[in-house]
Amino acid sequence: MLFRLASRNLWRNRRRTLLTLSAMVISASLLILALGVFSGMFEDMLASATEQYSGHMVLANPEYHKRRDMFAALPEQVAENPALLQATAIKGRSPRLRSFGLLSRDDSSQPAEVMGIRPELERQVTALHTKIVDGSYLVDDDPHGIVLGEGLARKLKLAIGDEVVFVTQAADGSIGNDLLYVRGIFATGDSRNDNSLVLADLLWLQTTLVMDGKIHEVAMSVGDPMQAAAIADKLNRQLPAETEVLDWGDLLPEMREVIATYDVSRMIFVSILYMATGLGILNTFFMSVMERTREFGILMAQGMRPWTVRWLVMLETLLMGCIALLIGLALGVLMTLFMATVGIDLSGHITPVTYAGGTILPRLHAVFEMSNFTVPAFMLLLVCLVAGFLPANRAARLDPVVAIREE
Amino acid sequence: MSLIELRNVSKIYRTGNLEVAALSDLSLTFAAGEFAVLAGPSGSGKTTALNLIGCLDQPTSGQVLLEGRDMGEAKPKELADFRLQHIGFIFQSYNLIPVLTAAENAEFTLMLKGVPHVKRRQRVEQLFEELGISGLEDRKPADLSGGQQQRVAIARAMAAEPHVILADEPTANLDSRTAEELLALMRDLNNRRGTTFLFSSHDDRVIAQARRVIRLEDGCLHDDTGPLS
Repeated sequence: MLFRLASRNLWRNRRRTLLTLSAMVISASLLILALGVFSGMFEDMLASATEQYSGHMVLANPEYHKRRDMFAALPEQVAENPALLQATAIKGRSPRLRSFGLLSRDDSSQPAEVMGIRPELERQVTALHTKIVDGSYLVDDDPHGIVLGEGLARKLKLAIGDEVVFVTQAADGSIGNDLLYVRGIFATGDSRNDNSLVLADLLWLQTTLVMDGKIHEVAMSVGDPMQAAAIADKLNRQLPAETEVLDWGDLLPEMREVIATYDVSRMIFVSILYMATGLGILNTFFMSVMERTREFGILMAQGMRPWTVRWLVMLETLLMGCIALLIGLALGVLMTLFMATVGIDLSGHITPVTYAGGTILPRLHAVFEMSNFTVPAFMLLLVCLVAGFLPANRAARLDPVVAIREE
Repeated sequence: MSLIELRNVSKIYRTGNLEVAALSDLSLTFAAGEFAVLAGPSGSGKTTALNLIGCLDQPTSGQVLLEGRDMGEAKPKELADFRLQHIGFIFQSYNLIPVLTAAENAEFTLMLKGVPHVKRRQRVEQLFEELGISGLEDRKPADLSGGQQQRVAIARAMAAEPHVILADEPTANLDSRTAEELLALMRDLNNRRGTTFLFSSHDDRVIAQARRVIRLEDGCLHDDTGPLS
C-alpha cells in the first residue's frame, strides 16, 4: 500500500509532476544522445588515426620507431612470427615498406609518402579501401598501380589512368625512380593522408628501394582497440629484442590522453546537467512535502515510523525517476539510433579538424556504447535519491503535534 | 493497574520569550473500558492532554504512564510503535488521506502492522458493516459526506483494535443529528467491545453522552465526575 500511496501522491499535482518529469526526460534523453555523439566523434578520431593509416598496433625495429631510419628494416618473414600468428586477438597483419620522395606529373611535383603494401593484407588492417571516391583500390599483382589521396591528386591534376613518376633515394645510395599509374583516389577526410599518402605494391617498392625481402613495419588490427596496449605488452615479452610493438596510444600519445580524459569529462558533463535537474526535483518535492505537512502528521499519529515517512517520500522521487528513466532511455535510444544510422552531414558548413593525431569529421553521428546509457541512468536515479532525501528528511523529522495543527 | 495515568503533568509552550502553560499539575487516571470526555472551553488544555496521552507530545514536567509504562524517555520510533499498537485517533477534521479510498484509509494502520491484504479487507468490511457505511469502500474521501468521512475515520481508529481511542472534538464539524448518531455508535462500540474512548468536547450535548466528565479550565482540573465503579 505504501507503493500505491507513493504512486498516487505523485499525481496529486499533475501539472507540477509532468513539468518536473519532462525536465528529467529531456535531460536524460539529450544526455544519452550527446554522449552517443561524443563517442561517435572519438570513434571517428580513433578510426582516422588507426584504421586509415597506422592500424591499432605497429611492429617495427625500435630504431625505425624512433628515427624513421630507412635502414632499420626487418625481414618480411617477421610478419609470420609464431607469436603474431598465435595471438587470436590480432585480426589482421599488413607488412609495409615506406619511402618518402617526389611524385611528378608533367612539370609539377609534390612530396609524397609511398607505402608499399600487399593490398589484400592491408584491407585487414586499414579501411582505406572503403574510402575510394574514384577508380578502384589496389589489387595484388599490379606492380605499377597506385592509389593516392584526393588532395595530392588535385594538386597534380591527376585522374584515373594517368601516369606519374616517383623519385626517391634507394637503400644503395642510387636514385630510385619509376613510372606509376593511378588506379584509384581515396578521400579520408584527414588532410595528412589525403595530401601526401600513396599506396603502391610492396614488391615494386622493395625493388625500387633495393630492399628485397625487407619491410619497415607490420601494421596490425585487433578486435577491441582499447585492448591494444595490453596485447602489445604481451607481444613484446614474446618477440625478439630487435622488434618492438607499439600500440596506437604509444604512436599517438595525445589521442590516448584525449580518450583517457573522456570518462572524466563525461562525468563532469553529466553532473552539470543533472545538477540543474536535481534542483527541479528538490523544488517539486519540497513543495509537495510542505503542502502535505498535516497529512504527514496524521500518518505519524497513526503509528507510521519516521523512517517509513522518509521512505514514502523517497519512494515518490524514485518512482518519478524510474518513469523519467524509462521514457528518457526510450527517447535517448531512438535519437541515438537516428544519429547512428542517418546522422547529420555538416560538410557544407565546416571542414575536417585534425586534433591529437585524429580527425574530427564534419558530421554528427552517434555510436551505441553501453556506458552512454548506464551512466546517465545510474546518475539520474542517484540525483533523485539525493534530491529526494532533503524533503524526505524534513517530512520524517516533523513534530506530529505541530504538523497536525498545520492548515 | 490503570490503563492511563497522568502524574502531576504540566505542559508549557514557549513562543519567543512568552511562556504559555497549557496544562498545570494535572493528575488523572483512566481505567480500561471508560467512555470519558475532557470538557472545557477553547484553550482549557483538552487537546494538549489528549496529545500527551496519545504519545504525540511530551510533558514539560510530570509523568504520563500508559499501561504502567512511562513514555517520557521513549524515542520517536518507540512512540510511533506504541501508537500503532495501542492507540487510535479520531480528529475533528476527519483527516483521511485524500488519495486513498475509504477502505484503504481504514486499513492503513493494519498495513503498518503488517497484516496481510485479505485479512485487512475482511476486517474493514466487518467494521464498515458495523458503522453503517458498507458499499462506500471504494469511494475517495472527497466523494463522502462529513458524517461518512468521520465514520471511516472511526473505522480507521478501530481497525487495529487499539486499547484506547482518542477523539479530539470528533463531532465539531458535524450537524447535530449526525453528531448524535456517531456518539451513539462510539458508545455502542465501547459497550460491546470494551474499547476505551476518551474524547474532548465543549458541546454540552456530547458531554451529556459521556459516562465520565472531566472539566478543565486554564490547564487545571476543575471537576471530575470520577471513573465508574
